[in-house]
Amino acid sequence: MTDKGGRRRRSSSILQVYHEPLEPVEQLSDQAALPNLNANWVNAKGAWTIHFVLILALKIIYDIVPGVSQETSWTLTNITYMIGSYIMFHHVRGVPFEFNGGAYDNLNMWEQIDDGAQYTPAKKFLLSVPIVLFLLSTHYTHYDLTYFIINFLAVLAVIIPKLPYSHRMRVGLFSGVPEE
Amino acid sequence: MELQELQTHLTEWLNEAIAAFQKVPGSAVLIRYVRSSYQNDPVRSAIELVLVIFFIRYLMAPAYSTSKQNFIKLTDDEIDELVDEWTPEPLVPNMTVLEEMESEKLPIIVGATGPKSKLANGRTVTNLASYNFYNLNANEQIKEKAIQTLRTYGVGPCGPPQFYGTQDVHMRAEADIANYIGTEGCIVYAQAFSTISSVIPAFCKRGDIIVADRAVNYSIRRGLEISRSNIRWYAHNDLDDLERVMAKVVAEQARTKKLTRRFLVTEALFETTGEMNDLPRLIELKEKYKFRIMLDETWSFGVLGRTGRGLTEAQNVDPTQVDMIVGSLAGPLCAGGGFCAGPKDVVEHQRLTAASYTFSAALPAMLAIIASESLHVIQENPEATLGVCRENIRLMRAQLDPKSDWVICTSAPENPILLLVLKPQVVEARRLTAEDQERLLQEVADECLANNILVTRLKGAPITTHMGLKDNVYTATPALKVCVTSGLSKKETEKAGIAIRHAITKVMTKKGNNKLGVPTA
Repeated sequence: MTDKGGRRRRSSSILQVYHEPLEPVEQLSDQAALPNLNANWVNAKGAWTIHFVLILALKIIYDIVPGVSQETSWTLTNITYMIGSYIMFHHVRGVPFEFNGGAYDNLNMWEQIDDGAQYTPAKKFLLSVPIVLFLLSTHYTHYDLTYFIINFLAVLAVIIPKLPYSHRMRVGLFSGVPEE
Repeated sequence: MELQELQTHLTEWLNEAIAAFQKVPGSAVLIRYVRSSYQNDPVRSAIELVLVIFFIRYLMAPAYSTSKQNFIKLTDDEIDELVDEWTPEPLVPNMTVLEEMESEKLPIIVGATGPKSKLANGRTVTNLASYNFYNLNANEQIKEKAIQTLRTYGVGPCGPPQFYGTQDVHMRAEADIANYIGTEGCIVYAQAFSTISSVIPAFCKRGDIIVADRAVNYSIRRGLEISRSNIRWYAHNDLDDLERVMAKVVAEQARTKKLTRRFLVTEALFETTGEMNDLPRLIELKEKYKFRIMLDETWSFGVLGRTGRGLTEAQNVDPTQVDMIVGSLAGPLCAGGGFCAGPKDVVEHQRLTAASYTFSAALPAMLAIIASESLHVIQENPEATLGVCRENIRLMRAQLDPKSDWVICTSAPENPILLLVLKPQVVEARRLTAEDQERLLQEVADECLANNILVTRLKGAPITTHMGLKDNVYTATPALKVCVTSGLSKKETEKAGIAIRHAITKVMTKKGNNKLGVPTA
């Protein structure tokens, strides 16, 4: 396989790490043609409140399930939120609606927010929610080591992909670097 | 002494600091939190502390953009200088020598066009340069209908189809075409040229794969370019090469576990060569490798098959097996606009996603009626239209292809557009460049015109020079275009054929043109 510029192969081991290359000019102009409806709403009014509402709703739901202790309830709330936000911000790529001919097909939502700029208010907020939720849940699980480890791994999973370091970084397990 | 004093001072400061901290609202909570969270577990506390420190650092960091700022800061003087230096390209590029030569001699038709047309210089010529294959242009029944429609509906619908543009006649035309070809549905576009350039991007998006013939026409090329899909080319009309390309695509996608839409785009009768495609084989391949097929029937609709239904009828293929049949209503039907026929879902999808359907005014009602009427006329009496035309094609071909020493006809035997290219031996022996060939063929066309026969050349330049798809190097062979019509009698057709053959011989044996054996540097 020939090396096609941007996507450079870091290693040829089981773990493949590469960076999503910059899109060609034509694709960039398609991205710029219309506002990105998929990512812009995080800056909209009410988009921040919904995180607290959802977390509260999750907590209440887990509380009313019989036989669930406070510790388990907090841990479940924490990991549900983390998994949900991971899928939404870091797993799914592209735009669910068809309006720009797939110009964002290679980028996940976190990378689409604010056109990939780092440390913007929305990104700071979205990073602070899982951290605060983690601190709260460790506190309310009374610093039990097992719960702590579970919660900590969950929070790492959503914080690492949010770092500027991970911007456009892709990690593949047992799979080659995509050709195109 | 000194040490003791320092110690007391330190303790005092510490106490003061603690007192000050305790005065801060919420400090008690923080202390309680830190106390309860420590819990004799320094490692865990350290991890939490690191997390908090990282968090605070993240919050304090200034925002920056990751997209490349690829502009240079210029001073005002530099900007002025650049503006002064800039000379705009002409809006219309200067004509080449060939274009100049051609435009000077451009014949102008006065009055109605037909098999016998009157030119601006007063002469009446035999018109073999029009797609009026069945002379429906002169059909009184169609004319009468057109005038009636014009009086009731006016000239144009003045709106896109989705915005008050659709009239009953459009829906009727769509139903008529669908019935005629034998598909579930049909959608009528306002321009034939932009039909396929709009159908392709309506279905193919970035990341999808389109396999296309190298020789496809300009309109398809535009469509492929707009679609942003990955284009794979196969050698012109070489279906073995097509199979190779398709197999490669399938193997690649199986390996990378990528699942995209896959399309095959080709023409039924090729615009640049006149050759016919092998549809049964195409269908077999598309079923085997799971592709969808878009067939451009622009030049074959109303031409091929017993009743003119196109390639599907000519090669006995069920039209429902072709995913999209794109055709033109502008050529032999003497109407205007284009259409795409296929399953209902395919058709309905285009009503909102096909750019040229959504964003351009609907077809004038008159043209929709003419399309319906023309189809009716052809269907009702295929012998009088298709039959007569085919006989004329046979006669014309007989005068040109085997008889002429200089040219061969690349078109399929049923194709009323005869494309005559110079024999490869001739081109090789005389070392003719593409430009030389164009010039010679233009001379032939001029010579024909002097003998009152109007023919034209294949205008292949836009295809050859089209830069949008850089990976496709295809050069259309220069050709003379002779369009046969049923409006001429057998005798007239034969006579025109002889005249064209003589004109070719005359031009090719002219002294200045005979470069035989003369090596060119």
